[in-house]
Amino acid sequence: MNPKMINAKNVINYLNETILTRKAGNGGFFPSITHKKPCPVATSWAILACLSSGIKTEEIKTAQAYLSAIQREDGRICIDVHNSAAFWPTALAILAWQGASEYRNQFDKAIQFLLNTTGIHFPKEADAPTGHDSSIHGWPWIEKTHSWIEPTALSILALKIAGHTEHVRVKEGIKMIMNRQLNNGGWNYGNTTVFGRELYPMPDSTAIAISALYGSISRPDIDKSIDYLKSRIEKIKAPFSLGWGILGLSVWDERPGEIKEKILESLNLQKTYGEFQTSLLSLLLISYTAPKGLQGIFQTES
Amino acid sequence: MKETIHNIIASPNGMTRRQFLWGTLVGSSALALGLPLYSSYENGFRSETFVARVRDYQADISWIVRAGFQELGVSAAEIKGKKILLKPNLVEPHTEKPHINTHPLFVRGVAEAFLHLGAAKVYIAEGTGHCRDTIYILEESGFSEIIKEDRLPFVDLNYDAIFEKSNAGKYTKCSSFYLPGILQEVDWIVSLPKLKTHHWTGITLSMKNLFGLMPGAYYGWPKNVLHSLGIEQSLLDITATVKPHFAIVDGIIGMEGDGPIMGIPKAAQVIVMGRNFPAVDATCARIMGIDPHKIRYLSAAAGWLGPIRERHIHQVGEPITSVRMNFALEEKIPAHKNIRI
Repeated sequence: MNPKMINAKNVINYLNETILTRKAGNGGFFPSITHKKPCPVATSWAILACLSSGIKTEEIKTAQAYLSAIQREDGRICIDVHNSAAFWPTALAILAWQGASEYRNQFDKAIQFLLNTTGIHFPKEADAPTGHDSSIHGWPWIEKTHSWIEPTALSILALKIAGHTEHVRVKEGIKMIMNRQLNNGGWNYGNTTVFGRELYPMPDSTAIAISALYGSISRPDIDKSIDYLKSRIEKIKAPFSLGWGILGLSVWDERPGEIKEKILESLNLQKTYGEFQTSLLSLLLISYTAPKGLQGIFQTES
Repeated sequence: MKETIHNIIASPNGMTRRQFLWGTLVGSSALALGLPLYSSYENGFRSETFVARVRDYQADISWIVRAGFQELGVSAAEIKGKKILLKPNLVEPHTEKPHINTHPLFVRGVAEAFLHLGAAKVYIAEGTGHCRDTIYILEESGFSEIIKEDRLPFVDLNYDAIFEKSNAGKYTKCSSFYLPGILQEVDWIVSLPKLKTHHWTGITLSMKNLFGLMPGAYYGWPKNVLHSLGIEQSLLDITATVKPHFAIVDGIIGMEGDGPIMGIPKAAQVIVMGRNFPAVDATCARIMGIDPHKIRYLSAAAGWLGPIRERHIHQVGEPITSVRMNFALEEKIPAHKNIRI
């Protein structure tokens, strides 16, 4: 469907159909309409979108097989077959394999990889220019770098949904996220203060963080975070922040209104920026079809 | 063990313990980067920079840039039919803080100047380093109107198709870099940085802006791989490897103090441009009241990637003395210590 033809009636069909047009011959999904090399990020998000909208079982199975084919021996899933350091898609693949009995071994290996992997951490010194506690372990984007908010939150989400809620790594990851919370309740990529000045929050990081924290902390600990996100969500059109914003608020029973209209408004940005990436279209679809947040996809399944 | 870890590993903001100590213990010599010192002759490197005084963003920036092109010998014959990639510095999504990002009207003016000279296509491209949602930054920073009204295609460098290129610098241990495919498609890569101080490197200008070429999918958010390799070493290697073609610095409103995000606006009212990146950055540093020889990456680049000595940079347009405006530096920031001219 031409993006120019999207309206309130066909917006969900548009998402479903467009995501499926990004399917590659080997079962994976292309990252975008122009980038014709399947990638694990687009594939995992497309699987989650299909799971969430309850369609195309066969598409899911072949996509899960693609993820299996690119998994490394130690369980990691990398952004590129030629690069083993950028392993951040592993958490997404775990979510995409959740509940798929055929891929139980791959799923378990990926989980073991995450449980055995962390970022570079070091004790916080009194005169350190950065404000957070650099000793608390989380997960990095890339091997041999420090841990940051989004990869830590995605890893926690994947591990909790897989049943590892009480694992010491999950608990420490939650502690790490809370340590990086800004005074106004929001989060950014993962720095709090530098040279004594507090940095600015960002809606996407905040939404991903509160999604991961659900069920592990009490509501008052993130009241300010939710207030911050609610104050922003009405103005956000960008698909990544909007999709995660809706999911983050939904899991805490603060689902915004008029979601279909918001998604339509976001999709109209394609007239300016070109057709969205597959992962962004998938995220928007999930934000509509998962009223209880990302976790809700799997609760419904069970 | 503790010292070993601190000597090797990047802090969350990317500064290794060793780098952090450089500011307080080593001073400003290129020796601090383990780099050879080039002679005062700078290996024969000579370049030109153009400086224009510009009151505000309502000025005819396209005309000013074209005047700069003329002064620097950039002709229509050189640009006609070329594909141009403009790389602004888009850091974070804050509409109310115009001193953080390259201004959209500045980018529009530069794009118009290239199109006026007959460029076949002008792209705006960025791989944001802090906020993963590039569209959100564009929407919040006033770029959506420019992209839409001027029909300038935007390329998100964080997610573009990738190619690998051997590291031409070798100051980091990286044998090669992953680069966005669009860099192979365009004829000119133009850095459009903001004139800012920086709390890790002293200043952030045309060379540091090239960090945004590096895809986040391979380098993270922030681009912590480059931090771990050494910020200054990385930006030297990236400049040597990418071989960018031109720099045009938005110094109409810059940032002083705790840049690149938490500093305060500085209405320097200048545009600085040139073909050679170390020469442009050195000129900007002098305008900011900062000695380029005391900026480690510039000291290392001198005589290898370009000239930084004033006598080796032919100055056209406004003389530096007429636009110099000391940018505030902070005592508590090691990278700011002893860098004032």
